[in-house]
Amino acid sequence: MPASLKKTVPHIVLIAYVIIILFPFVFVLFSSLKENNVEISQAPFALPKSLYLDNYVKAWVQAKIDVYFWNSAYIGISSAVIGVLIAAGASFALTRMKFKLTSLLVTQVVLLGMLIPGNVLFIAQYILMMDLHILGKHWALFWPYTAGALPFSVLLISAFMKSMPGEMEEAAIIDGISAPGLFVRIVLPLTLPALVTVFIINFLGNWNEYLLASFFISKDALRTLPTGMVGFKDAYQTNYALICTGIIFSVTPVLILYAFLQKQIIEGIMAGSVKG
Amino acid sequence: MKSTLKNPAVYLMFIIPMIVLYGLFFLYPMFSSVFYAFTNWNGLEETQFIGIDNFKTAFGDKSFLSAIGNNMYFIFFSVGIQIPVIVVFALLISNVKKLQGFYKTTVFIPSILSTSVIGILWGFIYDPDIGPIAAFLGFFGIDPIYWLAESKWAMIAILITNAWQWVGFYIVLILAAILAIPRDIEEAACVDGATAPQRAWYLTVPLIKPIISVVVMLSIAGAMRVVDIVLVMTNGGPAGATEVMASYMVNKAIKYGDYGYGMALSIIIFALALVFTAIYQITLGKTERTEY
Repeated sequence: MPASLKKTVPHIVLIAYVIIILFPFVFVLFSSLKENNVEISQAPFALPKSLYLDNYVKAWVQAKIDVYFWNSAYIGISSAVIGVLIAAGASFALTRMKFKLTSLLVTQVVLLGMLIPGNVLFIAQYILMMDLHILGKHWALFWPYTAGALPFSVLLISAFMKSMPGEMEEAAIIDGISAPGLFVRIVLPLTLPALVTVFIINFLGNWNEYLLASFFISKDALRTLPTGMVGFKDAYQTNYALICTGIIFSVTPVLILYAFLQKQIIEGIMAGSVKG
Repeated sequence: MKSTLKNPAVYLMFIIPMIVLYGLFFLYPMFSSVFYAFTNWNGLEETQFIGIDNFKTAFGDKSFLSAIGNNMYFIFFSVGIQIPVIVVFALLISNVKKLQGFYKTTVFIPSILSTSVIGILWGFIYDPDIGPIAAFLGFFGIDPIYWLAESKWAMIAILITNAWQWVGFYIVLILAAILAIPRDIEEAACVDGATAPQRAWYLTVPLIKPIISVVVMLSIAGAMRVVDIVLVMTNGGPAGATEVMASYMVNKAIKYGDYGYGMALSIIIFALALVFTAIYQITLGKTERTEY
């Protein structure tokens, strides 16, 4: 084989793979801009005739994608923020304060949690939400999301804190800072990169979560995007252009986040995935 | 000064929020699952302790057994077919210089998206009336196939969607291991006149065996608890052809209120996942630590 061919063949194979990955997105984007099923089915691979933006208005306002979108944003962001703060506080105590034995024990118990796959807890959590009278409310998602993300968050933030030099903390302690002050004014700013990574990973997890969201919430007005989209698909199953618009609304925030933070997202998800 | 970091009250203040949340919404459900799995609790009648009856029922439950079979398909497909493909693509990407970053970030995209939205998206792609696959087959005069409505196609259709979502994720995992191999080993092999496929097979693959082993374990664990994609694309149908253990468990417990049985099923799912990964570890996963 000539050398130039040797260099191009892998690229041809890889580009083909990239096309398989990207094709559904392009197809959905084109379809969302077409007027109706007739225009889609007559020429599925063609560019839209004109930019038919009505679908976007219709999906967002009439079909209530806006409601699902804000529900997802609200639960996703609030749970991720609170979870990161709780995990950061715990990591600070576990790695920086002088209770070695207790810390070791707590860390082990928390890491054990990473071995338990979420599905195993699903029914018991459903019952718990019923007992707490929050089944069907946003809290029913907020608490399991926040609690479920803790093991991974503590693992990642603790690892980051352990690798941090302690001089600034020591200096602050000599200056007479209190422990909470130390945490808020020194530790949180110094661990910001780890906190951001954990926040993004947890937010993505919440934004995409389906199983709990579909069974713990039944009121349409409280649904998050993944389940709202399924109901939306059932209601408008004859209008593919509209469904594609909904898909665009659901994936765009994630793709924008990914475009800016791919490195943190890839490494964070990989660190979290090894939990199995 | 030391006392700042030695105050037990402050220590507790920092870890109690985590302990309470984790205990209530994680540890407690774990223990209550185990407890209720031995009861006949259905939310209506008085709950009785019934020993291992739920477990006996499960292993005589034809629908559940066929769901286990479908999880086995998942394992077979993701370990037997996906992983060789994943390794080959990781090797290909590691060997190119131009566009390496582009390939890496692009193939990873599906794994950050919602499985439910991917299910809806692929439902459209498979649609026999207006989906692109039907249109494509139409060019060759092939009649549309009812991918998700016919028993013989539904499972394979879901497996392909699942592969589309996760292959890139594992490629990136393996790629990271390949790129961590010191370059001088590769260069020495080059000097000795080894071709690229020879270097890949005799050098790189043995060196990344530990990470391949991790990917196999993750695939098995993932295949044992797969559920979202099935619920969204077929909800177990047609006629149970795509029912998996977790979808069966969820429907049984929530739709029919059979909570005790559902919890027993969840424990069986967990136990089977442990057994499969253990079997793999004992038989094939015994890899020595790689020394460079």
